Amino acid sequence: MSKLQLITKGILKENPTFVLILGMCPTLGVTSSAINGMGMGVATMAVLILSNIVISLIKNIVPDKVRIPVFIVVIASFVTIIEMLMKAYVPALYASLGVFIPLIVVNCIILGRAEAFASKNGVWDSALDGVGIGLGFTLSLTAIGSVREILGTGAIFGWSFAPDVMPLVFVLAPGGFLALGYLMVLFNKIAKRK
Amino acid sequence: MVVVLFSITAIAALLVALVNELTLDTIKATEAHNKDLAKLEVLPPFDGEARYEEIGHSINDGALTINVTKISNSTDGSLVGYAVEAPSITKNGYADRIYLMVGFVETEQGTLINGVKVLSQKETPGLGANMTKEGNALERSVVGNNPSAMTFKVKKDDASGSFDSLTGSTVSSRAYANAIETAYAAYLWAKGELPTSSDAQSGATKGSQTSDDDSVAVDAESGATLTDGSNYEQELEAQKGDISNE
Repeated sequence: MSKLQLITKGILKENPTFVLILGMCPTLGVTSSAINGMGMGVATMAVLILSNIVISLIKNIVPDKVRIPVFIVVIASFVTIIEMLMKAYVPALYASLGVFIPLIVVNCIILGRAEAFASKNGVWDSALDGVGIGLGFTLSLTAIGSVREILGTGAIFGWSFAPDVMPLVFVLAPGGFLALGYLMVLFNKIAKRK
Repeated sequence: MVVVLFSITAIAALLVALVNELTLDTIKATEAHNKDLAKLEVLPPFDGEARYEEIGHSINDGALTINVTKISNSTDGSLVGYAVEAPSITKNGYADRIYLMVGFVETEQGTLINGVKVLSQKETPGLGANMTKEGNALERSVVGNNPSAMTFKVKKDDASGSFDSLTGSTVSSRAYANAIETAYAAYLWAKGELPTSSDAQSGATKGSQTSDDDSVAVDAESGATLTDGSNYEQELEAQKGDISNE
């Protein structure tokens, strides 16, 4: 598999949200607006790349029986360290992304990639896999967030064009399921035709 | 196997502890700085350094805090205004209490609310959470107005109320009005002007008190009495009772 393919497969063939259907909990939780979805996606991507790198580095010294606990410890430490560093040195970024950071620990995409890819491949490939899957996750969440924000509030990225006339249900939880379901159908229909 | 698991957890714990040690002070400083910025945001801009004088206290055994900060210009010593951090007390939002930072300034027209900033809220996104947006209906109902002439109710509940509610979120709007009311009561208390419960009806809510608001600075004497929060708490509760009985 070429290096470029490693990245593009995360966006299309192995899109974590629409194809692998991983990480549904944060997906439904944070996509009430496009900017929230993007923030969660970017934060997840950062953790995913770092944890993939470390796990592919230590894969040979970790015995099979304890690999899952070790992966979880690595991921949770990364998330905690990133949260503290962000809070201390880039408070502006933390103010907008901060609420999503602790959620990343429970995101099964990260553990899934550690188990399915990083524990079997080299450092470079694992890092690129992190970039690809991270981009796929970011794009999917931004798409769901945009649809929900446009249909629910008549605004996108804070730019409002039709306030107070759109069905608010799309911003609420039921609308999240609707938007996710229909986008999943659409994505798979287009992906299959290729 | 055990050795590997143990050493990896130990390394991870060590790293987290190290980063925590490194960042703790910076984080604390940033948080304090942000709070000071929020205080200045609700007050009019001025030239010179701000001087903060905390007149804070807590009620409900420390579960709730109301912080009153008197901010003056340290260059010429003039009073800028009061920033009050207050939660909603009797009416909560959909999920939790709403914390507001409310800025009071003293002008020739009496006390005016200069600005409001939502510090924390867990309302429904797209509905109640719109209270954080600039220029929303709730903010428009209070900013630039004299709180002594306000009735802390939403118009939907009571025609005499001063608050337009946010579209589809009366509960959040009620909590917002309640937090503003709490902030105003704390402001009056900090200045030693809290009306006794007997005249609270005419005082805090109806606006016969505007003449008192012309006095500009808080003297040292009233500052000394502020450490006793229990009396204020009772008065606040009594006042709330009166208001809800109206």
